Amino acid sequence: MKMAKIRCILISLFVIMPGKTPLAQNELPGLTQSGQYQQGILGSISQPGPIRYSPDTIYLVGTYPLNTPELIRGEGLEITQTYCRFCHSTTYISMQPQLSASAWHTIVDKMIHTHGAPIPEEEAKQIIAYLQAQYAQKDHK
Amino acid sequence: MTEDTSKTISRRFLLKIMSGGIAGLGFTQLNSAWAQISGQAVQLLPSLTGPNRNPYWNSTGPFVVYPQKLPLIQITDRPVQLETPRHYFLTPFTPNAAFFVRWHLDKIPNAINLSEWRLFVEGNVERPLILSLNDLMKKFKQVSVTAVNQCSGNSRSRFQPHIPGGQWGNGAMGNATMKGVRLKDVLDAARIKSGSLQVQCEGLDRGRGPKDKGSYRYQKSLYLNDPILHEVVIAYEMNGAPLPILNGFPVRLVVPGKFATYWIKALTWIRIITEPDTNFWMTKAYCIPDTPHGNTTPEDMERKQIKQIPIGTMPVRSFLITPDGSDMIPLAMPLTLQGIAFSGHGQIVKVEFSDDNGITWHQAKLGKNYGRYSFRTWKAAWIPKHTGKYTLTVRATDEKGNTQADEGIWNPGGYLWNKIERQEVVIGVSE
Ligand code: HEC
Repeated sequence: MKMAKIRCILISLFVIMPGKTPLAQNELPGLTQSGQYQQGILGSISQPGPIRYSPDTIYLVGTYPLNTPELIRGEGLEITQTYCRFCHSTTYISMQPQLSASAWHTIVDKMIHTHGAPIPEEEAKQIIAYLQAQYAQKDHK
Repeated sequence: MTEDTSKTISRRFLLKIMSGGIAGLGFTQLNSAWAQISGQAVQLLPSLTGPNRNPYWNSTGPFVVYPQKLPLIQITDRPVQLETPRHYFLTPFTPNAAFFVRWHLDKIPNAINLSEWRLFVEGNVERPLILSLNDLMKKFKQVSVTAVNQCSGNSRSRFQPHIPGGQWGNGAMGNATMKGVRLKDVLDAARIKSGSLQVQCEGLDRGRGPKDKGSYRYQKSLYLNDPILHEVVIAYEMNGAPLPILNGFPVRLVVPGKFATYWIKALTWIRIITEPDTNFWMTKAYCIPDTPHGNTTPEDMERKQIKQIPIGTMPVRSFLITPDGSDMIPLAMPLTLQGIAFSGHGQIVKVEFSDDNGITWHQAKLGKNYGRYSFRTWKAAWIPKHTGKYTLTVRATDEKGNTQADEGIWNPGGYLWNKIERQEVVIGVSE
């Protein structure tokens, strides 16, 4: 009821008052659209305040914000999260472009053999299967 | 109340609208023709760019805010990698607060105690040194250099087939005047012993991997007979201010002309070594095919015929910064094309632009010269002569005669990209 009331007042405000079109033509020539706002997808972002100085010789900036996108749901997600967010966030997975299935295999091998990720063979297989299903070409959303 | 009454607003209604806000009222649905144009014309960038190369100037991540930084574009959050938005390249110096960030290992400094921090000069030297920041500022001659710092993987999102790693757009670069002391002066004070081969640099960052792996520490080495060594600076000042912690406070290495991989942040150990450094970051990462322009193919890599060598000097590049394609341009409007150019091989001597997709080229006017390692700004007057699309392109030439090619390259690291840049702009009717 209340909504309907507000709506009709708005109609009178924006539509009826200036005549047939929302904007009077001769007053503001060429103006095709104005006064439009929307609760938007383009968001706001907080500003950092000034750094709180410590009185001594320590130069500090505080903690760094995490902004880790969620990984795609699917079989093997949990095990992937267990092993693949130790040295870096899983943003390293979600930021990749469409890679081939074999590229994901190579990446997991590299994490284990070159970077020393302690991942048992069976788990590694499941992680590779997950990454290939969710983050390789074709299946990539 | 019916639709056609009440042209005035009651006080009660005003109060209501002011306390509740108008956003939730959904008045954009009032008029269907109006509603068609009333949605947000600006959409979110899609986060993934499919099998194709990233078509945007920057990478596609969200803006994020970090200490001492303006909103930058997220590549990764742990460790921190942030890209500088295009807009900041209108000026020759990139503001510290907008300067890109690239760490490899996740334990990066949040706080540094300068009464405990020291720079250690050690290894095959006669007099190992332990220097405080104050020692560096007081005991050595102060020098400064303006130099471009560019990530080896800048523009990696252009490569096809795609290459795993940070999907940088063009914003993993910046230009700053770096003040500090000459590495050579510090090494001379430590007196390098004979039989020395390389100088190895290491910062305060650490990873969570095993101690003998690249996932634990990040080290980079330069040959002592590399001529660039005479120009390497241990910098404690960046554009006249202390370095942001994310850019390497208290000191970082500056290796003019070379890619940022050598510009060690929070530099703490300088080690003279007698054998070639074979750690992961020297021999596995940051290596390029030993071929012209570091170009190869996935097939050739597979066949393992390709020798790989550590990446070094930055090839010549140039960018159009404005117009950036975000506005429609009225026909016949006299515009100023603006951008930057640089080369690790020497002074930029020429920047040319084309408005017919590279068929004919016109020379642009170069901005002030801040030295051979700096960004060089350029400008050109341009008047669009027809409506519809134009493809603007830009290329630079350095004093050695190096210029940019129009063929992309490919290598397994996604390094050395310097293909001629293109920007589509749309010209509208102006009458
Ligand atoms: C022992 C530490 C460690 C673990 C555990 C680890 N990584 Fe990594 N990973 C690294 C390091 C170090 C890099 C390089 C970081 C850089 O250059 O920014 C890296 C980089 C990557 C990259 C970027 C491409 C590349 O090759 O540099 C991807 C993708 C990746 N990791 C995926 C994974 C996945 C999937 C897992 C789980 C199976 C995983 N990582 C587990 C250490 C690790």
